[in-house]
Amino acid sequence: MPLLIAFDLLDRQILDRDGIPVGKVDDVELSPDSRYVVALLTGQRALGARFGGALGRWITGTAARLDTDRTGPRRIEYALVAKVDSAVHLSVRRELLTPPALEAWLDEHVIGRIPGASDAG
Amino acid sequence: MKRLLAVTLGILTAIGGFVDIGDIVSTSEAGSRFGLAHTWVLVVGIIGICVYAEMSGRVTAISIRPVFDLIRERLGPRIGLVNLLGSYLITLLTLAAEIGGVALALQLLSGASYLLWVPAAAIVLWLALWRVKFETLERVFGLSGLALVVLLVGIFWLHPDVADLKGQATTFSPPKGENWPTYSFMAIALFASAMTPYEVFFFSSGGVEERWTPRDLTISRINVFLGFPLGGLLAFGFLATSAIVFEPIGVDVSTLGQAVLPAGMAFGRIGLGLAILGVFAATFGAAMETGLSAGYTVSQYFGWSWGKFLRPRQAARFHVVVLVSILLAVAALLTTIDPIQLTEYMLIFSAVVLPLTYLPILVVANDRGYLGDKVNGPFANVMGVIYLIIVVAAAVAAVPVMIFTGMGG
Repeated sequence: MPLLIAFDLLDRQILDRDGIPVGKVDDVELSPDSRYVVALLTGQRALGARFGGALGRWITGTAARLDTDRTGPRRIEYALVAKVDSAVHLSVRRELLTPPALEAWLDEHVIGRIPGASDAG
Repeated sequence: MKRLLAVTLGILTAIGGFVDIGDIVSTSEAGSRFGLAHTWVLVVGIIGICVYAEMSGRVTAISIRPVFDLIRERLGPRIGLVNLLGSYLITLLTLAAEIGGVALALQLLSGASYLLWVPAAAIVLWLALWRVKFETLERVFGLSGLALVVLLVGIFWLHPDVADLKGQATTFSPPKGENWPTYSFMAIALFASAMTPYEVFFFSSGGVEERWTPRDLTISRINVFLGFPLGGLLAFGFLATSAIVFEPIGVDVSTLGQAVLPAGMAFGRIGLGLAILGVFAATFGAAMETGLSAGYTVSQYFGWSWGKFLRPRQAARFHVVVLVSILLAVAALLTTIDPIQLTEYMLIFSAVVLPLTYLPILVVANDRGYLGDKVNGPFANVMGVIYLIIVVAAAVAAVPVMIFTGMGG
């Protein structure tokens, strides 16, 4: 399916198969011949790289500091994409993907410690 | 009954826009100084917010995406970030003002200084946002805010000279002894408060919280066309009662206590009590609206999971933004900054950010990729463009008028 990357993919919301937000398409990874999208890149590291300049370095830098066990931004294989409409729908649940570092840290150290954090709203 | 309760989202959103703490005082001030000469501004504001809230509700119901989410898609991440910073700042300072407003309402009831009530109000607010279901919050505060109807009914109880009021309401200029710059300052502030950006963000995020689908398009429209005019009408209650009570004797309203006084004059203690209850519910509702909106906008820009329909652990970043925003708001209030003045500044600055909010909504509402055959018709587009022009004019005029009048002096 031909896609206009800038128009149809970039900055679009990624949802898991239950409709829960996973991240934005902050950037994409192309195949070596630039003909296919291999993976979606998401998270502030990818976003900062797109901004460029001092602001971009700051965004990437702060995100990278939290996220020590990974060298690049969060990657989601394009093969996991089920459908693209007003959002990018994945065919898997988000628990199967690596969690974003900031979310995991805040869950473990702040939100998860407050009583009632696991109750449905 | 369930159908009737489905409109509380619109009512709560509109209350947060039209009768939050800053609006209550500045609308009453406008009434006390200029009589009903600002009525047309309220009407223009009500129509404007209806036009754009209808678009946002439609976008949300059809595409199942909140509008702030789509703004970044259409403006790109850089301008999207400027928009985020602008609206977050306004939302945060309004949140501070609303927490102050809840505390001021409690001060009226208890006599204890509002500064003592600020931490208590903030804790209750956070608990509500942490524990209570979205629908419950919306119903309790949307409906109890309607106690402010007491001021509307009060208009008739105060036995005003109806012919004189009609004359004032069809005036488009300041009365004798008042000047144009202050009149325009108040007009811009009232218009900006009717169209504050967090209203559309909250309304459309609320639609997602309530899991609207294309079948809920009618629910969305009923919310818009019932809720927002109702909110505007409540604001008119403050404008008119102040015009009747204070304008003839030349008293300028500048406190919350004065703004609710006409209800007491019309109905005695019960009236005053109802008005204070209404103010409490409206400001608490506005505090919830701004607190959640702070979390919604940041999360939706970055694509984080958000919302009260998820467990807090599933949306840890969203809940941290809400919590930190409340803490920042409390810190700002404890510097003893006047909460009412805070919103007056914010109204003028929000006029400046308005074009960045409404242009992308107009663009998205015309995008067949999101809306299919439910894109704007010619009428919605003509109204949208007219209001965009008004919004830009207000934005251009806002800062010079503010400096020239020394904040409406």
